[in-house]
Amino acid sequence: MPEGAPRLVAIFLMACLVGVLSGLFGVGGGVLLVPLLVLLFRFDQHRAQGTSLVALVPPTGLLAFLAYYRAHEVNLAVGLMIMPGVFFGGLLGSKFAQSLTPVRMRRVFAAFLFVLGIWQIVSAWRR
Amino acid sequence: MPDLQTELPGRRNCGKMATVFAFFVDGGGLLHTIVIILLGLAVGVLVGLMGIGGGIVLVPAFVYLLGMDQHLAQGTSLVILLPPLALGALMLYWKNYQVDLQAGIACALGFLAGGYFGGLLAISLPSRDLKGFFGLFLVFSAAMLWRKTEARGSSGNANA
Repeated sequence: MPEGAPRLVAIFLMACLVGVLSGLFGVGGGVLLVPLLVLLFRFDQHRAQGTSLVALVPPTGLLAFLAYYRAHEVNLAVGLMIMPGVFFGGLLGSKFAQSLTPVRMRRVFAAFLFVLGIWQIVSAWRR
Repeated sequence: MPDLQTELPGRRNCGKMATVFAFFVDGGGLLHTIVIILLGLAVGVLVGLMGIGGGIVLVPAFVYLLGMDQHLAQGTSLVILLPPLALGALMLYWKNYQVDLQAGIACALGFLAGGYFGGLLAISLPSRDLKGFFGLFLVFSAAMLWRKTEARGSSGNANA
């Protein structure tokens, strides 16, 4: 992997692609960013997670949010009620992350996402 | 889906906002509110634990627990990305020198640009197809997460 500026440009381009998926699916993108930083750029696991959180601090979803908002596809009240839990839960979760290497947990989570994904596909295109 | 065709300015959302806040008062009920707050807490733990945004869990939860339409679920999920909710979690990583700030900023800029086009793309898709694609995205993400756990063992590669 190249060092310095080329490396940052490569990361930027990767983040652009992840950003398209992020806007397309209304998610933060960290779920792809973390593995990509580890696999493509040889980040250590904790470092990848910490770096991914940097991208979640500024309102990077703002433009995507506006696209949905203009199409009346936002429930603001529910979004606001979710926030306190996410903030305090985030503190709790990173405390856990520092004290354990959650490899097994991550596998359970991956399996959970897999089942959820299959469920979504089936319920969307059944008929 | 009539509102896909009409490109209305943001101000026309006033009517929708009224219904949104009516949900607070009577439509949703106390149980609904409690479910939403607990959901936020559970998602937050995942955010800190795995360094992810949480939307990947939030969107299906909105669809299946709260009965939202796929587009509405995704748009609502983006609301939690507006304030710096990940800040608390980030600080803990920062203290342990587990943050590459330059790379993080490059990622943030990429997200900002890419996110807009992704949003436009999503709005133009039928909700049903979007739901299916989201499912595919989840399966793909699951595979990535699984692979990540294996990457650790093989990190002593040739170009190190």
